[in-house]
Amino acid sequence: MGFLDNSGDIILDAVLTDLGRKRLAEGNFQITKFALGDDEIDYGLYDKNHPSGSAYYDLEILQSPVLEAFTNNMSSMKSRLISYTSNDLLYLPVIQLNDTLSPRESNSNSYIVPVDLSTMNALTNTAKTALGSGYLNGNDPLGDSPTANYLRADQGLDTTELTPRDQVNPLLLETQYFVQFDNRFGTLCSPSTTLTPVSIDDDNVATYIVTFDSVGGGGGDAVKQIGVDATDSSIAGPRGTYVSLKIASSLELKTSNFLFNQLGSPGSVALTPTTSISLDAADYRFIDTTLRVSGVTTGYTLDVPIRLVKKDA
Amino acid sequence: MPTNTPSSFKALTTDDAVLTRNLLHEAIPITGSILSGTYADENIKTYSHGMFESVYDYPYLSSSANHILDLTCGYSATSGLSGATNSQNSKKINVYNQMAQVLVGFDAAAAIRAFDQDGDLSAGTKDRQSFFINFARLLSKDEIKKGSFSLQLGCQESYTAPFEKLVTITDFSGTDGYKVNSPAGEYGILYATSSSEPVLASASVDSAGRVACGLIYYQAGIAVITSSIFLGTSSLGGLLAVNSKFNPALGTTCGNVTASLTASTITVNANKFRHRIYNLSFNNTTELNSSVYFCRAHNTDFNYSANPTYLSASKMVVKNNSQDAPVSFVTTVGLYSPDNELLAVAKLSEPLKKDPTTEFTLRVRLDY
Repeated sequence: MGFLDNSGDIILDAVLTDLGRKRLAEGNFQITKFALGDDEIDYGLYDKNHPSGSAYYDLEILQSPVLEAFTNNMSSMKSRLISYTSNDLLYLPVIQLNDTLSPRESNSNSYIVPVDLSTMNALTNTAKTALGSGYLNGNDPLGDSPTANYLRADQGLDTTELTPRDQVNPLLLETQYFVQFDNRFGTLCSPSTTLTPVSIDDDNVATYIVTFDSVGGGGGDAVKQIGVDATDSSIAGPRGTYVSLKIASSLELKTSNFLFNQLGSPGSVALTPTTSISLDAADYRFIDTTLRVSGVTTGYTLDVPIRLVKKDA
Repeated sequence: MPTNTPSSFKALTTDDAVLTRNLLHEAIPITGSILSGTYADENIKTYSHGMFESVYDYPYLSSSANHILDLTCGYSATSGLSGATNSQNSKKINVYNQMAQVLVGFDAAAAIRAFDQDGDLSAGTKDRQSFFINFARLLSKDEIKKGSFSLQLGCQESYTAPFEKLVTITDFSGTDGYKVNSPAGEYGILYATSSSEPVLASASVDSAGRVACGLIYYQAGIAVITSSIFLGTSSLGGLLAVNSKFNPALGTTCGNVTASLTASTITVNANKFRHRIYNLSFNNTTELNSSVYFCRAHNTDFNYSANPTYLSASKMVVKNNSQDAPVSFVTTVGLYSPDNELLAVAKLSEPLKKDPTTEFTLRVRLDY
C-alpha cells in the first residue's frame, strides 16, 4: 500500500475489509462499535525530554507517514488505543511468553509441533513418553498429562520497580483472552480440554475466547492466576493471570502433505529434542505460523511463533 | 458497557450512524475520432451473427481496451422499408422488435409498440426505422443524467467530408420534460438543431429551429435515433434540406440511408452511422448510498495504547511520572461487528494526537 497524502487537510481513506465484504454478501453486515488504532506509531520516537520543550516531544511521531488501508482484516488494527478512566496510570501490563516453564526450541526460537504419530515417534524417546522442551504434542495433545508440554504466556507488570507483592490494578487484570490460530493447521486446547472457536473468518483464522471463569467461559483450565510467590513467572513485578495452551494438529496436516508442500519448507537443521534423539534436516518439512494472544481488557497482543513439523514418509 | 471498564472498543449508538444517498455525475466525452479514425477500426468488434457491432476505446484485442458502446439498426415489420429481399431483413426486424419491446413495451393486445416520436403512445408519429446506440454500463453507470446528452452528426451531402454540416442532437428538455411511460424507466425526446449552417429542412423544424429525431432512455442507457436524420424531406419523413450520401458504395445516386437500410447489412449501416458521428457526450449518474459513522472520541476515551512500543519494562514511554497526562496517536479507525470482527478500516492521512484535553469526532463514510 502507498502512503496517504499528508500535505493538506486530514482525510480518511475507508475500505471494507475482505471479511466485511464477505459478511455483506452473506447479508450479515452490521457495524456496532469502533476502535482506534496506531499501528504505524513508534512511541520510542516520543522524546519527553526534548531540550526545546513540549512542542517538540511528538514532532517526529506526527510526521510519521500513514499507509493506505489494508483490506485484509488480519493486517489492520494490530494495536488499539485503550480507554481508562484514570489518567494517572504509569505502568500497564504486558503479556509475554514464560520461557521458564515453556521454553521455545532454541534453534528456531519457536514452539515445535510434531503433527502426526510418525513425527512424534521420531522425536520422542524409546518409551514414547517424554517430548523435549520447546516441543508440543500436536498429534494427541490431550493424551499427555495436563502438566506436559504446553505454551504459556504470563500477564502482569514486567518491571523491577514494583515488587510481585504489589497488586495489579484490578481494572487491568486480564480475565479473558482472544486467541487466534490458523484453522487449517489445527485447533487449540487448554491443558486438559479441547477449545471451540467462536468464529472462523474468511482467511481461515479461528478466534477463541478463553476465560478465567472455567465454568462460564468455556476456557477450561486455560486461564489461571499467577501466584504472588511464584518464582517461575516471566513477570518481574505484579502478576496478573496466565494463559496456557496446546495445539492439536488438523486432520489435513496429519493425513496429507499438501499444505506442507504448498506453504512449508524442507528442514534446514536437524531437530534434536534431546541429545540422544535427532531428526535429520532432510527428513522433514515444516510450516512456520503464528498464534496470537490478545488481552480482552488491555488489548495487549503477543504473537507466538509456531513451527509445525512433519516427518517425510 | 460500564464506563469504568477499560476497553478498546466503543459502541456506536443509533445517533452515531446515518444513511445518506448522493448522486455522482461524471462527464463522458467521446470524440468521433475514437469511433472512427484513430484506431483504423481495430477498436470495432463485429460478430458473425451480424446483429450489432461493439465499439471499444482501444483496439479490442488489447487487454486494456474497454467496451464503450454498441451500434445497431433495424426497422419495424410495418415500416415501408421492410421487404423480403432486403439484406438481413428478418434480423433488422428482430433488432427493432427487441429494442421496442424492451423500451416501449406492449399494447393492450400484447403487440409490440413502435417507438413514438413525442412519447404519446396513443397517437402521433411513429419512428419505424432507427439506429440504436447502446452504451456500456461502464459509461452510463446507473443512468444517463437527464438533459446532458449531446450527439453531433455530420449531415453534409458528401460522404468523404460529412462534418462540414453538423446537426446537434440533445435532450434539452430532459431535466423536467422526461417521460415515464416506458417499461425500461424514464426517457427523454431527442431534438436536432443545425449547429453549423442550416442543415435541417425549414419545413421540419419548430419555431426554435428544433426537430424531434429520437429518444434517449436514461436508465437503460440507449439512444434511439431516427434514420430520417440523414434524409431530405422528400423521403420517409426526412429532416434534412438535402439527402446525405450515407452509403456511396450503393451508387452515387441511390446511396441514401433508405437504400442502405434495405440493401446493406446491419454492420455496414452501423459503420456508416459511426462514420458520421462527430462528437458524443453526456454525464452519467451513479447512485451512491453511504453509511456515515460518527466515531466520537471523548476526552476520557482512547488516551492509552496497546502498541508494544508504548511500554518499556511495562512503563509508559510517554510519561515521566504518573501525574503526566497520557497521550496516544490515532492513525486508524476500525469498524467492528458485534462479534469483534473487523468489517471496515479507515486510515487518517496523518497521526492525530489524543490526550485528556482533546476530543474529536471522526466521520467515516462507507459507500455502496
